Amino acid sequence: MAVGNAWVGTILRVNLTEGTIAKEPLNMKDANDYVGARGLGTKYYCNEVDPKIDPLSPENKLVFMTGALTGTFAPSAGRYEVVSKSPLTGTIGAANSGGHFGPELKYAGYDGIIFEGKAAAPVYLYINDDVVELRDASHLWGKNVHEATDLLEQEVGKFRIATIAPSGENGVLFAGVMNDKNRAAGRGGMGAVMGSKNLKAVVVRGTGSVKVARPDGFLKETLRTRTMLREHPVCGEGLAAYGTEILVNIINEVGGLPKNNGRDGAVFEGAYEISGEKLAEGALVKNQGCFGCTIACGRVTKIEPDESEFYGFGEGPEYEAGWSFGADCGVDDIAAVLKANWICNEEGMDPITLGATIACAMELFELGAIPESDIGFPLRFGDAAAMVRCVRMTADGEGFGKLLGQGSYRLAEHYGHPELSMSVKKQEMPAYDGRAIQGIALEYATSNRGGCHVRGYMISPEVLGLPVKTDPLVTEGKGALLKTFQDLTALCDSTGICLFTTFALGLPELAGLYREAVGTDETDEDILLKGERIWNLEKRFNMAAGVEKDTLPPRLLREELPSGPAKGKVAELQVMLADYYEARGWTDEGEPTAAKFDELSL
Amino acid sequence: MNVKFFATYRKIVGQGCIDIPAPGTVLDLLAEMERRYPAFRGQLLSADGTDKSPEAIVLVCGRHIEHLDGVRTVLTEQDYVALTPLVAGG
Repeated sequence: MAVGNAWVGTILRVNLTEGTIAKEPLNMKDANDYVGARGLGTKYYCNEVDPKIDPLSPENKLVFMTGALTGTFAPSAGRYEVVSKSPLTGTIGAANSGGHFGPELKYAGYDGIIFEGKAAAPVYLYINDDVVELRDASHLWGKNVHEATDLLEQEVGKFRIATIAPSGENGVLFAGVMNDKNRAAGRGGMGAVMGSKNLKAVVVRGTGSVKVARPDGFLKETLRTRTMLREHPVCGEGLAAYGTEILVNIINEVGGLPKNNGRDGAVFEGAYEISGEKLAEGALVKNQGCFGCTIACGRVTKIEPDESEFYGFGEGPEYEAGWSFGADCGVDDIAAVLKANWICNEEGMDPITLGATIACAMELFELGAIPESDIGFPLRFGDAAAMVRCVRMTADGEGFGKLLGQGSYRLAEHYGHPELSMSVKKQEMPAYDGRAIQGIALEYATSNRGGCHVRGYMISPEVLGLPVKTDPLVTEGKGALLKTFQDLTALCDSTGICLFTTFALGLPELAGLYREAVGTDETDEDILLKGERIWNLEKRFNMAAGVEKDTLPPRLLREELPSGPAKGKVAELQVMLADYYEARGWTDEGEPTAAKFDELSL
Repeated sequence: MNVKFFATYRKIVGQGCIDIPAPGTVLDLLAEMERRYPAFRGQLLSADGTDKSPEAIVLVCGRHIEHLDGVRTVLTEQDYVALTPLVAGG
């Protein structure tokens, strides 16, 4: 139980092949060096798994890891990380989720769980403080996230539950692990890894506590940062009122909202119809927060049967899903976007990858590369009903849905046009066009888990001016700035604090909370160095796994934007890459040297 | 010229956009909006009225005024302006 430095001191090791469960002490050196969650989970994983492993083989492992601050009073400190090799990208896969599952795991007395092997038949892991056992899950196999969660609650009571849907059972390469029904460790297919192990769910109830090292100092830092969040225009007002969808109009205004798979530029005429403002005027029921969160950016949404054929009830969408099922598919029907997003929550699928994959299929269809007979119906940009039908087919693994479930790269390659997949390292880029926002192009290209916006979030300085304003159309200075953002993001993810706090909080605040919680006197710079160490660890894994070089789809490099403020622009990647590698202290080829690894004690 | 309003600014104005004669500079526009819509007071202009509030984002033809001529950016009838409070997401 609580050991007094924000950790509870125990890792669960579950061998699914043997059906054994062991409790082992947390490796405190690694916990100190890698902070927790994303960093520590990746360290444990890299210590034990060959980077060349087949991600869906029994020899692969799956790690659930909390952060040093998870479950404490620090603001928005409810995060945990699911780590394994991604079956979608072949890179390290690390997916971060909020809700209440992470803190509950710590209250039960466990900092993390390592799953090994493969069960002979479906099982779930039951954790009730000291009682930990594998239980039969054959009656849950085939149930979606909401159904499985409800059945498990009937069976075990009010536990915190993380589960997969049939998408994970059937190898959809972007299946996520869902906790508290609608919170997602969403990207990179961690749900597919879990399904490959015949592991349906983890249920946890904990009655213990987390003790920090310096309670008085920690309380002071907590109150200070909570006040900063409450008084900040973004964290205290904007995100609560409108959710992340509030970005749609402003990103469209700067000409950076990719339309129709990026084929037709990045200005979407129907932007308002899929925006946070539109959502707040109609479908929004209330907002919702995760554990210990003062922001509460979650959206509870509803469409009545008399409003649209896409009626229903659920959570979301986030900005990214609003774009992927909206502008990227040429769809300006908010009800259809909501429906697609609700299905993704219920069926445990990453809406960024799925929406972008459907958009890719639409372009391939309009090009004549996919015959209608393969799909079963016409699939053109702007067809909301066809878009929603594709989401359902993917969840059900039906017909063309099986191909969609492999992501856009494999789909486009199957039809002879891999260049039309808007992905990096086979993971789909999110909702910002790298031709209009140069730094995000560099971020996509260099992300350690493939196309991703939260491995640095360059939108903050380039569009929003947080903490400083940089010009999205220029390349100068972006390499060094991105390095800092990547390291800081790696640190934040690893603490167990939500990344959204960083609109208001910076390194001094994150480091201050961390110092008081774990009882260290390391400087801000020492603590940021842990973020750089984590980034280089991920990179080292990817190099050993044979992941391809950092680049972007040809569209971003060669096709000029046809309209908007960035008209005529392409992503000027090469010049930014050179600056970035120099800032990282890597070779011109983008590889860390042995000296760099030594410097970081890797 | 056309002026668009996003997020809470849209609520203040009661509609998504308005057409007005180009008022000279961005500073003139912000002052004009604070005059027309009292709920904007203190939100668009800095306390001394000589600059933009740090909590407002002003785009002229999609470009942040930081990369133009700031609040001295001259507006023409062909320009379009977007006003939004500081927002974020992801």
